[in-house]
Amino acid sequence: MSHDITHDGVADHHDHDHKPKGFVKRWLMTTNHKDIGTLYLIFAFAMFILGGAMAMIIRLELFQPGLQFVEPDFFNQMTTMHALIMVFGAVMPAFVGLANWMIPMMIGAPDMALPRMNNWSFWILPFAFALLSSTLFMEGGAPAGGWTMYPPLVLQGGHNVAYLVFAVHLMGISSIMGAINVIATIMNMRAPNVGYLNMPLFVWTWLITAFLLIAVMPVLAGAVTMLLTDRYFDTSFFNAAGGGDPVLFQHIFWFFGHPEVYIMILPAFGVVSEIIPTFARKPLFGYVSMVYATAAIAFLSFIVWAHHMFSVGMPLGAELYFMYATMMIAVPTGVKIFNWVATMWKGSMTFETPMLFSLAFVILFTIGGFSGVMMALAPVDLQYHDTYFIVAHFHYVLVTGAVFAIIAGVYYWIPKWSGHMYNERLGKIHFWWSTISVNVLFFPQHFLGLAGMPRRIPDYSTQFAEFNMWSSIGGFAFGLAQVFFIYIVWKTVRGGEKATGQVWEGAKGLEWTVPSPAPHHTFEDFGPVDLDKMAHGKTH
Amino acid sequence: MKIVIILMLLFILFSLGSAMFYLVKGQGKSQNTVRFLTVRVVLSVLLFLFIILAAHMGWIETQQPAFLRP
Amino acid sequence: MSEASKDQYYVPHLAKWPIVGSVGLTVTVLGAINLLNSENPGTPWMLYLGFAIILLMMFGWFGEVIKESEDNLYNTQVDTSFRMGMIWFIFSEVMFFGAFFGALFYARTFSVPWLGGEGTGLSTNEVLWNGYEGVWPTNGPGDLGGRFELIDPYHLPLINTLLLLASSVTITIAHHALRANNRSQTIIWLIATVILGAVFLFYQAEEYIEAYRDLNLTLSSGIYGSTFFMLTGFHGMHVTLGAIMITIITIRVIRGHFRPESHFGFEAVAWYWHFVDVVWLGLFIFVYIL
Ligand code: HEM
Ligand SMILES: [Cu+2]
Repeated sequence: MSHDITHDGVADHHDHDHKPKGFVKRWLMTTNHKDIGTLYLIFAFAMFILGGAMAMIIRLELFQPGLQFVEPDFFNQMTTMHALIMVFGAVMPAFVGLANWMIPMMIGAPDMALPRMNNWSFWILPFAFALLSSTLFMEGGAPAGGWTMYPPLVLQGGHNVAYLVFAVHLMGISSIMGAINVIATIMNMRAPNVGYLNMPLFVWTWLITAFLLIAVMPVLAGAVTMLLTDRYFDTSFFNAAGGGDPVLFQHIFWFFGHPEVYIMILPAFGVVSEIIPTFARKPLFGYVSMVYATAAIAFLSFIVWAHHMFSVGMPLGAELYFMYATMMIAVPTGVKIFNWVATMWKGSMTFETPMLFSLAFVILFTIGGFSGVMMALAPVDLQYHDTYFIVAHFHYVLVTGAVFAIIAGVYYWIPKWSGHMYNERLGKIHFWWSTISVNVLFFPQHFLGLAGMPRRIPDYSTQFAEFNMWSSIGGFAFGLAQVFFIYIVWKTVRGGEKATGQVWEGAKGLEWTVPSPAPHHTFEDFGPVDLDKMAHGKTH
Repeated sequence: MKIVIILMLLFILFSLGSAMFYLVKGQGKSQNTVRFLTVRVVLSVLLFLFIILAAHMGWIETQQPAFLRP
Repeated sequence: MSEASKDQYYVPHLAKWPIVGSVGLTVTVLGAINLLNSENPGTPWMLYLGFAIILLMMFGWFGEVIKESEDNLYNTQVDTSFRMGMIWFIFSEVMFFGAFFGALFYARTFSVPWLGGEGTGLSTNEVLWNGYEGVWPTNGPGDLGGRFELIDPYHLPLINTLLLLASSVTITIAHHALRANNRSQTIIWLIATVILGAVFLFYQAEEYIEAYRDLNLTLSSGIYGSTFFMLTGFHGMHVTLGAIMITIITIRVIRGHFRPESHFGFEAVAWYWHFVDVVWLGLFIFVYIL
């Protein structure tokens, strides 16, 4: 090979065992999947704290009936921005971070398939959220029409509409490129002897998630583009006087929105499916059925969207169809829950922090699934819709679901990332602190919703006072627990007991065959791997 | 007649999709991509001719705003 | 550089263009936002600056990739990654167009008939829009934008359909010529394709001018104007993009890139052009004719 190929004009960085030096080279220009994974995780955590601070403002205002601390309009800005930041800034990037770190190591690939694009996917995000957050400091404030951006309300936002729309476009570009990378990596970069049905479940769930992302993020882009032209160019997509329909937006949005909630939960299923077998010291029960169930959920997620619109006035046939279709999702979801339980059955279990969070996931996510099935009943949803009941529902599936799985994943893999064990005692404290407080925070919201307290309103009638106070107390405690989590992570990264390559006694998978911390480059020769080391390799 | 047009459009989409499939599968060595693309061009030309014929024979009606209809 | 041999998956190091791209996107978007939000916008310098940065990024980035490709750093596996990237990107484009086609079908089959009193829309029609006839094409019961006429599909749009179809034929001929290793033929037919695409764009602009000036058909002509201009407009943007890509491909063929058995860049761009043409067929049928 010729020596004149000094792409990038730098000759010395081919020394593979060394990380590039200097902040700009190491982080701004990186193409390394581990560094990009780290960037994603740090960014997600920062957004989690920012979105969490907004949640604290919301719970503070709702601590007592009446208006105490913030203006109603600012309250609405908080609910809107909280949701947007948590969904697009915290949960999704956190899973992309886990994917970046783990997928290449789990399938024996040297890196992601398209490393330059990988860098770009990440580095769009800080700009997108800077744009979105900058509206907080502008005249007229941030978007306040809800994260669902329903017209005509959201179009009354003044100058922030354009910021909102373009920020969503940028996030969409980032997600689509990230998803393309994941698909190309999984389909094209498996070590030569790793077949699809040898792949860990985390890889499987991400493959399907990536497909969902590419399918629906462009639809969201289309929806917000129509918002933009309705607001600035006089089009009539969502204007009945021009022959359009505001409900059209809801259809397009939820065609994106329902798959989106599965984008946030399928990788969580994957994480938990890695952790439970490790600490039950048994192979995952029903691996193939897990794969099929994931695919079935993904398929169904495209044909149930209007369960978010039961109360908006749809033809009767549509109400019935969407009701039955939605209830069907509970079947593959149930398959998963039973498989996790069966994996633990007669296992020799230990309860390290990642396992604790995974167990809490199984139980609490199921509660969220149940309330989902309740709301899927069209006639009763007229009562639940837009109340605190649905707030409880989606926080059970998203906080004790997606976020708990992310936390479990961090505890599970941080020894591999940093080379240090976290402090088990502190981890357990974090677990019990979080799990108790999160239930104090969200469980009473079921009762509030059933009793009729509407969501997205800064004030409420006095009969709701007591449950709201409990909920706020739980909220502050949960928020504090996550600050404690930062401390635990920080301590682990800085030092602590050295981790072995295997880390967990019962863990199987290629990521445990490399040393801890994982070297900057792994599986560079791209040869066949030892299938016996994989959970679903030759032996099973 | 509308149904003929829509069916042909579906066929075109199918051959376009097949071409895409072989674009990835074939590694550029197989003839399949270019073959399916050729099929889809031929089909499109046929569809185009059919539309002209259908319009000429009055099989399909073109849209008009209500206030301009006879 | 020993490890950069063909039997290794090529992993580039130190990418400088992505961050440039992010800055470019952000500047573009900020420029657009300022343009939209200001009362009397002057020259949108910021927007232009953003476009310039993005163009710079594209030249730099593609240049790097093309150089690596011509230096033989990519093995077939890298090639496959690029192919997958391309098809999944196109899939995302399909879904983007899908949103707008979906809006079109929704308006035609649901919202307009409902406003006209069909189904559950009876009382809406009686009380709010009495006398409104819900038939497509329409600018809605509010008669937004005033009465308008339609583009006659059998004049400019027909010519445009012919032009794009012809351009698909020419690029297919170029494709066959490249496989037969006939470079001069390839170049000629590629240039023909670009010219046909450019003429298409010219007529499309012509059509918009006619719509605005003579027919009073504008973006604000209710749902018809909205779907008409957004669908054809986004399509036009894709034709522009495709034509630029074909130009780049042509230059590469002139420089002697691509071989009969390995020409992914060419195939991907050709496929993209076919895709853009098929979208146009869909538009011609569902927007202009039926
Ligand atoms: C068995 C599975 C599930 C069923 C049957 C279900 C059903 C529903 C229904 C019917 C609603 C609409 C309620 C209303 O607006 O009146 C809803 C809302 C919601 N669900 Fe679920 N759900 C399920 C699982 C999930 C999961 C796994 C997630 C996320 C990880 C999720 C996240 C959400 C969110 C975020 C909303 C509220 C959206 C909003 O209006 O802001 N759901 N769910
Ligand atoms: Cu849903």
